[in-house]
Amino acid sequence: MTIGIRTRLALTLVGLVAVTVAAIGVGVYAFVDSSLRDAQLAQARRQVDYNLSVLLPGADPRPTDLRSFEASGLPEAFGLRGDGRVIADFGDAAPYTPADLPGGLDQLSPELRSIVAQGQLGYAWQTIGGRPALVVGGQQGGPPALYFVFPSQPIEDALAQLRLGLLVAGAVAILVALLTARLVASGILRPVAAGGRAARRIADGDLRARVPEGGRDEFGRWAAEFNRMADSLEATVARLQAAQLQNRQFVADVAHELRTPITALVAEASMIEGGLDGLAPDARRAAELLVTDVRRLRALVDDLMEISRFDAAAELPRLEPVDLGRVVTGVVATRLPEAAVSIPREPVIVDSDPRRLDRIIGNLLDNARAHAPGAQVEVSLTTTREGAMVVVADRGPGVPADALPRIFDRFYKADPSRRSGSSGLGLAIAAEHAALLGATLRARGRPGGGMIFVLTLPVTRSLPSGDAADTGARDDDRASEPASRIRP
Amino acid sequence: MDAHILLVEDDPSIREVTALGLRAAGFTVGVAADGVEGLERWRADRPDLVLLDVMLPRMDGLEVCRAIRREATTPIVMLTARADTIDVVVGLESGADDYLRKPFEMPELVARVRAALRRHGHEPASGTPAILNLGPLRIDLAGRTVERDGSEIALTRTEFDLLAELARHPGQVFPRDLLLDRVWGYDYLGDSRLVDVAVGRLRAKIEADPAVPSLVITVRGAGYKAARPPG
Repeated sequence: MTIGIRTRLALTLVGLVAVTVAAIGVGVYAFVDSSLRDAQLAQARRQVDYNLSVLLPGADPRPTDLRSFEASGLPEAFGLRGDGRVIADFGDAAPYTPADLPGGLDQLSPELRSIVAQGQLGYAWQTIGGRPALVVGGQQGGPPALYFVFPSQPIEDALAQLRLGLLVAGAVAILVALLTARLVASGILRPVAAGGRAARRIADGDLRARVPEGGRDEFGRWAAEFNRMADSLEATVARLQAAQLQNRQFVADVAHELRTPITALVAEASMIEGGLDGLAPDARRAAELLVTDVRRLRALVDDLMEISRFDAAAELPRLEPVDLGRVVTGVVATRLPEAAVSIPREPVIVDSDPRRLDRIIGNLLDNARAHAPGAQVEVSLTTTREGAMVVVADRGPGVPADALPRIFDRFYKADPSRRSGSSGLGLAIAAEHAALLGATLRARGRPGGGMIFVLTLPVTRSLPSGDAADTGARDDDRASEPASRIRP
Repeated sequence: MDAHILLVEDDPSIREVTALGLRAAGFTVGVAADGVEGLERWRADRPDLVLLDVMLPRMDGLEVCRAIRREATTPIVMLTARADTIDVVVGLESGADDYLRKPFEMPELVARVRAALRRHGHEPASGTPAILNLGPLRIDLAGRTVERDGSEIALTRTEFDLLAELARHPGQVFPRDLLLDRVWGYDYLGDSRLVDVAVGRLRAKIEADPAVPSLVITVRGAGYKAARPPG
């Protein structure tokens, strides 16, 4: 799983801020903590020094047990300066402890007591009598060991407040970091998103899509480069389209110019055909060939004219109710009477253009006749849920599977060495007509050899209850469909 | 059959071979190389049928067609280079009875010419009255005339045959392809625009309000029918 840029940016920034805030917080806390304690400790030491070096020696006799200590007035004297209270350890089982610190001596740590026993001054921050305090202990040339207890509650309160403050500040900093990351991320990602949208529009065919330029940063330069690429793409496509348009216009012009001489030729040839019987054998054969070739030429120019009209988008379907069975039998009767026809008993009426249907089916029949001469051709009309289907199947040699996708291309010949009477445009024209009628025309190989063409017409009115039997016209992965047209 | 045909065509080769073919089929043929000459020859010869190229110098075929229609109901067959363009509809609306797409073979042309000439040949079958009435119209099948309130309406042969065909069976729906067969002589896949345009022209002449036809009625998705007499 990949993490988005937005998330990565947020995580990085938050991590950075958290570490920084934590470092600063810990530093500040440690500094404040040690300054507060140092100050109190210094003050406490001064008082303890005074108590041990001035007040204690001033008591005469030197108190050596609880009773003499209480009698000496020292506890009160110690308490006069500062707020410290005292615990005195006489080395026996009866230490002196203030009334509010019962068992105070036992709460002192052994470390502190051993330091004091060695005659040194020691201190500890600890809880005593349930409250935080600074305990400073020492002795002056032997027992008693005196421990002075200074409450440290104010310091602890101040530190607690500092901790809370630091935590709140840290949380705020992380929140700010999150918001900043969001803003920065969307700022960075906006041009990326715009680029994505533009690229998608271009992919969908809108070559005019551009990204907003502006800004002198990396994204500004990137946007400029993107737009330069789009400009170049648009210009190239426009050039190619213009070239194709020019090419097609040329073909249309040529076909149109040929029309007048061919009209004369066709009329003349038809006259010659009527008078073949009066010619000498050689001349007669030549005349027969002439008639055949004029018909081929005519078919080619007719087809060129027809496909040129599609290129010029000059073709519009004229829909009317059509009895498909009648069209199928009519086309077969005129184009390939020997084909086997099967149509349903009830009429199949669709809204379509009968002359285009005639062209489509007629061209399929011509194709079958040209590529499978003499082979059995079957034409059937069926109705399915998908629509009305006209199937033209032959038992000719078929085409190789890799040639199937190109079979509807103009002038495509599966076998270039093959000389046939067709123009090479018949299937392309059939596909154009089918597209115009909202129909699909597919071709596929027939198991056992041959071709199957399936014309599926959209159903716009209710059909007679169709036979649900499989007509063998289902799509399979080898089926070829003419590419959808892109008009310039 | 020695019907006289006027051929108006600017290309010399097409003109010559077409005239040759028509003569071989038994017609007499007059020729003209442009629209103006064609109209003059039509006035001089009064042919039985005009074969008219659409693209003509000086005066195009559509104008010639309209000029002839202003004066007479002579059958006109247009020769057009393209079958799917506006040419066809404009040609038919200009008053042509039929059209033939170029290139054509001579037998095709002769068949269409004969079909157009034969149209008046619908002799009333025995037992059918020689006079039909459709609304205010009085249709004389033998005399091939139509009167409304005693005044004659000039119909072309195609328009008359179309009206007569419909009026013979009032209330019966005629699909377009049946009318193409009966009136124009196409046995398979004629251009249904022929029917629609002819119905339009017929209505303009016989209906009180052509926008709301009451005599020749469109049956959506099926065809046309003549109104049934009331009662």
